[in-house]
Amino acid sequence: MSVIPAALATATGLGVAGAVAGLVLPQRGRGVVVGVVAAGVGVAGGTAGVAALGGSRWSAQVSGLLPLAGAYVEVDALSGLFMAVAGAVVAAVAVYGVGYVAGHGSHGAYGLGSRGAQAVLPLFALSLLLVPTAASVTTFLMLWEVMALTSLLLVLAEHRARPAVREAALWYAVMTHLGLVLLLVGFMVYAAQAGGETFTALRDGRAGMSPTVRGLVFVLTAMAFTSKAGLVPLHAWLPRAHPEAPSAVSALMSAAMVNLGIYGLLRVGFDLLGGGPAWWWLLVMAMGGLSAVYGILQAAMASDLKRLLAYSTSENMGLVVLGAGAAGLFAHAGNEELAGLALAAALLHVVNHSAFKALLFGAAGSVLRATGERNLDLLGGLRARMPVTAGLFAVGALGAVALPPGNGFISEWLLLQSMIHGLAVPGVTTASVLPLAVAVIALSAGLAAAVFVKALGVGFFARSRGAEAAAAKESPLLMRVGMGLLAALCAALALVPGLLGDGLERAVAAVGFSGTRPVSGGGLRVRLEEVSATLSPLWVVAALAVALGAVMATVQWAARRRQRRTQARLWDCGGGVPTPRMAYTATSFAEPLQRVFDDVLAPEQDVDVTPVRESAYLVERVRFRNRVPDRIEHRLYRPVLDVLAAAGQSARRLAGGSVHVYLGYGFFGLVTLLVVLVVGW
Amino acid sequence: MSEGLFTQLLDLACGAFLLAAVVVLWRRELVAIVRLFALQGLALAAIALLLGLHEDRWDLIVVAAGIGALRAGLLPYLIRRALTALVADQEQGETRPYVRSEEVRETQPLVNVAASLLTAAALTLLAYAVARPLVELDPTPATRALPVGLAVVLIGFFVLVTRRRALAQVVGFLLLDNGITATAFLAASGVPLIVELGVSFDVLLAVLVLQLLTVRVREAFGTTYIDDLRELHD
Repeated sequence: MSVIPAALATATGLGVAGAVAGLVLPQRGRGVVVGVVAAGVGVAGGTAGVAALGGSRWSAQVSGLLPLAGAYVEVDALSGLFMAVAGAVVAAVAVYGVGYVAGHGSHGAYGLGSRGAQAVLPLFALSLLLVPTAASVTTFLMLWEVMALTSLLLVLAEHRARPAVREAALWYAVMTHLGLVLLLVGFMVYAAQAGGETFTALRDGRAGMSPTVRGLVFVLTAMAFTSKAGLVPLHAWLPRAHPEAPSAVSALMSAAMVNLGIYGLLRVGFDLLGGGPAWWWLLVMAMGGLSAVYGILQAAMASDLKRLLAYSTSENMGLVVLGAGAAGLFAHAGNEELAGLALAAALLHVVNHSAFKALLFGAAGSVLRATGERNLDLLGGLRARMPVTAGLFAVGALGAVALPPGNGFISEWLLLQSMIHGLAVPGVTTASVLPLAVAVIALSAGLAAAVFVKALGVGFFARSRGAEAAAAKESPLLMRVGMGLLAALCAALALVPGLLGDGLERAVAAVGFSGTRPVSGGGLRVRLEEVSATLSPLWVVAALAVALGAVMATVQWAARRRQRRTQARLWDCGGGVPTPRMAYTATSFAEPLQRVFDDVLAPEQDVDVTPVRESAYLVERVRFRNRVPDRIEHRLYRPVLDVLAAAGQSARRLAGGSVHVYLGYGFFGLVTLLVVLVVGW
Repeated sequence: MSEGLFTQLLDLACGAFLLAAVVVLWRRELVAIVRLFALQGLALAAIALLLGLHEDRWDLIVVAAGIGALRAGLLPYLIRRALTALVADQEQGETRPYVRSEEVRETQPLVNVAASLLTAAALTLLAYAVARPLVELDPTPATRALPVGLAVVLIGFFVLVTRRRALAQVVGFLLLDNGITATAFLAASGVPLIVELGVSFDVLLAVLVLQLLTVRVREAFGTTYIDDLRELHD
């Protein structure tokens, strides 16, 4: 098959051409050309991915491309799945991006539309597609770093508009490079022990390694990959970088880049290291479960729309990792069927999450572009002003809440099935961990419903609470088209997930599990030794549609029966006319949840009462402040940062400013070295 | 030239080379220090010349001439001009006449003269001890003299660390560089011509810049004690 190399070559050529076009073209036309080229990159890369999912494999070796090591690439079904997802997202977001940067002086034009950002965008898109093809450590790290750097530059795109962008980019830069260092150390240990740095050599070398070294390699690389996927505890960059990046970039990062963390985890954990002892996977499951609950709780508290979506990414990646960990646990226990099912569920959730999260970030960008406002408390009433965006956001939100007929429901249902049936695996560990995992999935699904009801209801319904929201205009056509593509993808995934059946099966087989074909035809079918469960999304949707239709008809009928309707002012208890500011805000909507999870979230509340000067009993002003800080960040990062800062401060004493002292360091260092040499040898 | 004569002359030149560096530690007048530095440059040129004559290499003789011109002629001239500029500037200003004698003397080195000389002895010993394995590799007269070059490197570094006057520091830096050049000659009969040229221009440029800088520092702070430049850190 020559589809894959041709498609990859096309994608690479287009990516480079797009970068050059972004650099040289003038403002007029730049966005269109770069957008079209980037969409081409996505289509070409996605084609390669689909071909790989279809069963073709391809590998090549270019010895001259990277010094010393040479570049190795290999595409199998697992790479293909992630490439196909990334390709689809890139293509749709590129179309969206053309609309986003259009128009002089618009919100998008100064940030993402700038020369630098437009030059980097195709390269970022290309790196997203190429990372899964790497088949040696050097190639992988090289592409990984290109992806990190280009995304960093894109996060910085709007640095002139807000100082917060710079801070977010700094966090991102530090944490992504911390991840790179972990990855580098892990791979170096692995390659040194295995005696080669191509993935083939690593696969062959794993048998001769001691369990301790394998465990070390796994923990190091898993920390790095989960950090990229935005999992607790190395998640702190995600809720900062995603909101501050231009929305098209947020969509790419959240729907395609974080996936590659999952890809790395699967590739190293299952494929290269060939699975491992139970504690590896328990660790991974713990991180996944923690992220799922913690992420969605923070999302519930967030009133910044994009921050909310970013935390929701953390939650979904947590669920995926939970599934991957369960797969490892089952494989360790020797039950390959269950392992295949759990992994298939996790991979399907990756696909679903990418579709709806790209759409949601796109819609959030549409709102941001129209109003300049991300704060849900100041939005509202957008359904009337931006009907298409509101509808598309609703589609995405439906996917995210894990209820039928959304696409997220399908993968979470599979995930739950694999966990519940996993109790068939004997052992105390599974008996205690799996029920907990089921509870985590259920809790996060419930909270996700609250989160997206908040985002949709407070952000788009009711009346506008801010002047910008009241004056919002619908976004340009191309943005709507881009989002429409993603919405169609969501709908397809929700209604006919069976289209993915074969590809999913091959991707699961690529890491060495025999799958059970959980998704096929028009339905979901879980077939294990003793149990079988089926679900047909089409029937669910049909039933829902019928029920909804019946309810609507009844309401209409009831409304028509009561003919007389009197118009009168609402009784306001004598308090004056209700204003939109009195409606539910995101903060007030989340308040009950905040109360329930008070001990976990530890919100900071501050009431400041200023009495009138003449009398202490008459209040002039009451100020109330409510903040929900990221507690893990507070507890975990603050001490580390403090220690580092203290070390830096005390090291300043070494640099007193006297030139003689500085020279003295060198002199005494040299003399000491020479003395040691003389005495030692 | 007979082998014995060559060895004796080479040892003489190396001795002069080392002695000049040690005496730099002893003298306080900057004028005298500069004169010593010029003498050392001559000794270095002599080393290169002797090696060139011994090995019948014309390029080494040319390099020797260049080194003599640069290190015994041009560089001392530049430093002395900076010194004159400092003094002349002082006489014109006449605001603080007492500074005049101060400015041309290294009055208060961080380590006093006696201790400096003892340290120089210790550093020379260290250089000999460190170079022993190198000498054993190929014991010719030139490599036997190799520790002298190392000793001058260390002494130059020591001058750099302990002297307070900016110009004394420039001389320390140049001693260090002389030591490196001598080591290169004694160990490997010199580096390729192009490298030697590069290094020479580098040194020349450094001295030119430092000369300017010294005069500016003197104008800005009224002194060339570099210890007064304590604000130059974060």
